[in-house]
Amino acid sequence: MGDPITLIGKWLENLLYSWGLMPGVVSLIMAVIGVVVIASAVLVLDILLVWVERKVVARFQDRLGPNRVGPFGIIQPIADVIKLLIKEDILPIGADKIVYNLAPIMALGTVLLLWAVLPLSSTVYGTNLNVGVLYIVALGAISTLGIIMAGWASNNKYALLGAFRTVAQMVSYEVPLVIALLVPVILARSMGLTDIVEAQSIWFVFIAPIPALIVLITSIAELGRAPFDLIEAESEIVAGFHIEYTGMKFGLFYAGELLHALTVGGIIATLFLGGWRGPGAETYPILGIFYFFIKALFLYWVIMWIKYSLPRIRIDHMLNFNWKFLTPLSLVILIVMAIVDKIVPKTSMLVYSLVMLFVNVVVGWLTLQLLRRNAKSARMRVAEPKPVARPEPSPTAATSQTSSSSS
Amino acid sequence: MSELTTIVENTLETRFPEVVVRDERKGYEGFIIQAEKLVEVVTKLRDDFGYDYLSSVTGVDYLPEGKMEVVYHLYKSTGGSALVLKAQTPREVASVPSLVPVYPGAELQEREAWDLYGIHFEGHPDLRRILMWEGFHGHPMRKDWQEAYYEEDSKPYKSRWPDGEVWRSEDKNTFHKNVDYPAGFDPETWVPDGDASLYAGLGRVVKPGNGGGLGTEQVVVNMGPQHPSTHGVFRMVVTLDGETITALKPVMGYLHRNHEKIGERNTFLQNMPFTDRLDYLSSMSNNFGYALAVEKLMGVKPPERAEYLRVIMAEFTRISNHIWAIGFLLNDLGAYFTPMLYAVEERELILDIFEAVSGSRMMCNYFRFGGVARDLPEGVYEKIRKLVYDRLPRKIDELDLYLTNNEILRSRGEGVGILTPDQAIAYSASGPLLRASGVPYDIRRADPYSIYERFDFDVAVRYHGDIYDRYMIRLDEVRQSLRILQQAVRDMPEGPIQEGKPQYQVRVPPGEAYGRVEGPKGELGYYVISNGKPNPWRYHVRAPSFVNLTPLEIMCVGNKVADSVAILGSIDIVLGETDR
Repeated sequence: MGDPITLIGKWLENLLYSWGLMPGVVSLIMAVIGVVVIASAVLVLDILLVWVERKVVARFQDRLGPNRVGPFGIIQPIADVIKLLIKEDILPIGADKIVYNLAPIMALGTVLLLWAVLPLSSTVYGTNLNVGVLYIVALGAISTLGIIMAGWASNNKYALLGAFRTVAQMVSYEVPLVIALLVPVILARSMGLTDIVEAQSIWFVFIAPIPALIVLITSIAELGRAPFDLIEAESEIVAGFHIEYTGMKFGLFYAGELLHALTVGGIIATLFLGGWRGPGAETYPILGIFYFFIKALFLYWVIMWIKYSLPRIRIDHMLNFNWKFLTPLSLVILIVMAIVDKIVPKTSMLVYSLVMLFVNVVVGWLTLQLLRRNAKSARMRVAEPKPVARPEPSPTAATSQTSSSSS
Repeated sequence: MSELTTIVENTLETRFPEVVVRDERKGYEGFIIQAEKLVEVVTKLRDDFGYDYLSSVTGVDYLPEGKMEVVYHLYKSTGGSALVLKAQTPREVASVPSLVPVYPGAELQEREAWDLYGIHFEGHPDLRRILMWEGFHGHPMRKDWQEAYYEEDSKPYKSRWPDGEVWRSEDKNTFHKNVDYPAGFDPETWVPDGDASLYAGLGRVVKPGNGGGLGTEQVVVNMGPQHPSTHGVFRMVVTLDGETITALKPVMGYLHRNHEKIGERNTFLQNMPFTDRLDYLSSMSNNFGYALAVEKLMGVKPPERAEYLRVIMAEFTRISNHIWAIGFLLNDLGAYFTPMLYAVEERELILDIFEAVSGSRMMCNYFRFGGVARDLPEGVYEKIRKLVYDRLPRKIDELDLYLTNNEILRSRGEGVGILTPDQAIAYSASGPLLRASGVPYDIRRADPYSIYERFDFDVAVRYHGDIYDRYMIRLDEVRQSLRILQQAVRDMPEGPIQEGKPQYQVRVPPGEAYGRVEGPKGELGYYVISNGKPNPWRYHVRAPSFVNLTPLEIMCVGNKVADSVAILGSIDIVLGETDR
């Protein structure tokens, strides 16, 4: 017991063998079934996420959120999907047809592909790729391509602005992301996600809090969610890259964004929060799936919390923040942690973790000191205090009313 | 009229004999200036007498006399009452020199006068139509211009109840009979040249790459008219070099309904509910300005209790407008509705009070000439007390706590969209926009009206002139408004709320009057001319949302495209007032 999924898999495999199929065909069928099961499970979850997102943001904003269709409005996303499906499908004049239609598929497809390497529990995973981290980074680059394609093919200036913001943002935030992702690789001595989870008897977030934070921030930027939602920037470039998309093509972008957010939650949970690990997960792998989704949804909630609390950052600030802060910081922390990893013996995990944590705290403290020293100086005043405008300018009137001001 | 103004007037007449003559018509004030010498006289006034603030420019059509008049209201940025100047010109070839070289703030207002009256402003840098569309025939505010389905010059139309039932002229009159096309114009085949002249004015340049590299080209982007952050159907045509704005032109008029023409057809009292529709977020303030202008003409003063009620309602309007503005500024900065929804909650409570006194939450129609429409119903006074003393101060502090020190708000707002005090005055900016640039000019203090002199409050000023200061000053002003409200609620006497008998048809003696109030968005002025008939001869609205857009370009150029929407949000416009 405790592992019904493997049990079902084994039973199905034996059934296929008993029909006298060749081993190659059997493994192919099993792989196809696995892909179909994971992909559809994830997409069904995606529909639910629409409801979760709308309900959570409503609570952040002091509202009720959807509450009319079904209990607590839970059937609302189904209604949304029906609406999207029956909407008119528009192809703008001058759009590049193939690229235009391919872009939403790429946006959702790349997110689905990420689930191939995410270990849901000790026994349930798509594949244990030995370069899992590299795979994640590579897919991140392809999802960027989907957005650029959408922005370019739409033949719209807002979309084009969104597209070149995407280039600036995604490409630059990939640098600190990749560097910070190397830290769990060093700690686990493997690039395979399953191995990284196995190595986390102590969650990496306690050993390497700064890289965890960098990965969270850069992942939000890769997602294009607030405060880094410049690529769709509703109040500036209307909807950015997906401005011309209607109906289900827009729906694919939307679903892709939500699912991407959850997937990023899952990736961070895997890399830093111990993935499926939790009490009893070793013996009952089915619990691991539960733990994994709890952690992923918690991080998804954090991402939403940030999105619905903060205003948008401006493009030059965004680039400054990346190149002048995140990239140097991630490089420093990587070098420091690599050196400490070589010096401190890994015989006692507790001592090793404490030293690593200490190093992180020191680097974090130094960073804060540095930031404080280089804090922006006060703004320049453009005006000097003047007496308040009065009908009869007399000395008594001018001084009796002083202007209320502080800067 | 103050002593100082008289000195100026005497000097003017002696210095420019025959150029400047006193306006001797009954009920009129100010001076009539020979059009050719206008720039010279005005430059003198600005440089030597300190009349550095051009508040209002508008045209008046005196059809019976066969002449046009351009009316200027000048003020000192140090306070005081208006200096009214007029330039007269024949109707057929109406032309006066443009004041844009002296007061850049005249730009949009002169364009409006050209558009609506056909008065040509010699030397204006960009004299195009502004509110009407490019293909429009004629100038609609001229007294001899008649709209489609024209019936009579003034309401109430006699035809509306011929047999005791209402009918509409458009039901009986086909469209084509009543439309006057220019010779050779066919609406079916007409292709608008539209934006060619607009884009030509933007000056797009192709920059050659340095040293044979890639050449870059600037791109023209239309922000609006359909855009979530232009607060309505407003359009900013921007030229972008990458993300940086190199040129910007505001385009408006999509919501134009010729408010002033309708206002001249209406009777005086019919205009009161019509002013609600200008800045539909602050209808009480709109009522206030119009009531002041007409009361000046009529020579009536509202009773004490009505004055207090007016002040209470006007200050509530200011609070509700400012928290709305703050909420939407944050929205423009990309905060996705969260701060907005928190801010709007308080506004709802204020609207409850408006609903209780006037019967409507937004289109209040509460003021009357010489009073207000209704007294407070039972229980509303207590509600106001609780709101003013407890709930609102708490909630404003909460808003302050959550937003003011937000790192992203600071980095987006500080040092962005700077307007220096000199620019602000020259470009006729008013209200929070002017005061955030360090000019302590508040009409409630500078040219007091109603009973504001009795209240103890400070004029909020900030000195950096950027988006962040324009955010901060709104918080400051809300706090000052609360102070006024607390005093007004404490001191409000019992008594009548209307001077004399309430009447449908008021008798307004001939003359002109300019009533201005410190509206939430800036100086809201009504220029009303009566010729003794039941309808105003001229009804002009000096809309702060409109005039405050004049410095939009100088604030935006050099900043990022993302800043342009934030700068627009920090000006705080409402398109119902901008386009009128």
